[in-house]
Amino acid sequence: MHIMEGFLPVEHAVGWTLASAPFVVWSVRAVRARLDEYPEQRMLLGVAAAFALVLSALKLPSVTGSCSHPTGIGLGALLFGPAAMVLVGLVVLVFQALLLAHGGLTTLGANVFSMAIVGSFVAAGVFRASRTFRLSLATSVFLAACLGDLATYVTTSVQLAWAFPDPAGGFVASMAKFAGIFALTQIPLAITEGLLTVLVVNALIRFNADEMKHLPLFLTRGARA
Amino acid sequence: MLIEQSAYANRWRAVSPAAKGGFALGGLLAAFVANTPTAAAGIALVVVATTLLGARVSPWLYLRVAAPATAFLAVSSLSLMFSISLDASGGPQWQFAPDAVSRIATVASRSLASLAALLFLVLTTPLRDLIVLLRQLRVPEVILDLMVLCYRMLFVLSEAMHDMLTAQAARLGHASARRSLHSLGLLAANLVVQVWQRAQALATAALARNGCGSLRFLSPAFAHARRDTLIAAAASLALIALAGSLDR
Repeated sequence: MHIMEGFLPVEHAVGWTLASAPFVVWSVRAVRARLDEYPEQRMLLGVAAAFALVLSALKLPSVTGSCSHPTGIGLGALLFGPAAMVLVGLVVLVFQALLLAHGGLTTLGANVFSMAIVGSFVAAGVFRASRTFRLSLATSVFLAACLGDLATYVTTSVQLAWAFPDPAGGFVASMAKFAGIFALTQIPLAITEGLLTVLVVNALIRFNADEMKHLPLFLTRGARA
Repeated sequence: MLIEQSAYANRWRAVSPAAKGGFALGGLLAAFVANTPTAAAGIALVVVATTLLGARVSPWLYLRVAAPATAFLAVSSLSLMFSISLDASGGPQWQFAPDAVSRIATVASRSLASLAALLFLVLTTPLRDLIVLLRQLRVPEVILDLMVLCYRMLFVLSEAMHDMLTAQAARLGHASARRSLHSLGLLAANLVVQVWQRAQALATAALARNGCGSLRFLSPAFAHARRDTLIAAAASLALIALAGSLDR
């Protein structure tokens, strides 16, 4: 769920852009350093961005019958790590704005913050924590993708509530309204995306164990095939 | 992709992207300068008319592209319309927000004006030209590389995805919601494998041609770029002035 073009007041649009900027700069540096070491990953990240975009065109069967699509950010954060995913997420959001009129340029900062930054850090963090608590790989992947998605949705609701506080109930009431109205599509979506990501990772480990060995997060705890 | 169709087929396809980007920027600024809903709606009208009459974008296509964003606007306006407060017993109480109409009018008109400016840019300018514009604006090379690769692979991967969906559907892979989820999982996993293989092939191809740095392409030349940019700058200033004057 992205905030549409022009929806946020100017001070919020600028504020979220400034909040996202340091993460983007950090990610650009991290990716540059990674490409210096492994030049062949230039292509991989580019193709991964295209993959996330194509994935977002998939229609998932959803309980509420609304059109919901996976973000692929959880999967990407597990495969490439949050440092690269901030940049990949930025490119995906720019493409969604320019090719699909989904999201926008003035709200790019806010959308990058909720999806690429919060989404990928939460997904990677939850995965690490789950593995530390010795949860099974499937459970960890499910929790990471599902909570990453939910964190994106909660952050977007916070952004909207902050920009448009309720005249009577203030921020909290407004948050309840926005979170409630979008929960209808976003909660089933997060669960579906969690399940889908588990299926993807299972299939990858079965058919592509070799490639999985070189991935940052799976390296640390060693995925069992 | 509807936006791509229009970006390549509109009347202003050959106009310099700097000019079109400048006018879109003017539209965005004007949308935020406009203080009243009337002013913002006026800006939206002018920008939409420029897109439809000037660039000859089909109105039907325009509506279809704008539909998802307007649906978001409708849903969000719904939440602005009501206000929750706690009544004497501590339970939540729903009521019409006192300033709902003026608030929704302000937000909706500003959003529509900004959306019109974004649509003007994307419906008249192919992404390839926008990347050239971003390069002129000194966006870091790493980001441009990712964009170029992403754009080139987008259509390859979406064709692969479409083929897989057809193959799965032909084998009843999407007969029930449960099967559908399983099939989509397999599809995404297959696609991830392809991501690796295709990236590897691209890297090998680049290495074979001594390519080990960023990707460079010839920039297309645009006739009358300076004249068009000046016209666009004047039009942008006029838009902003219009937004300011409609306020009073």
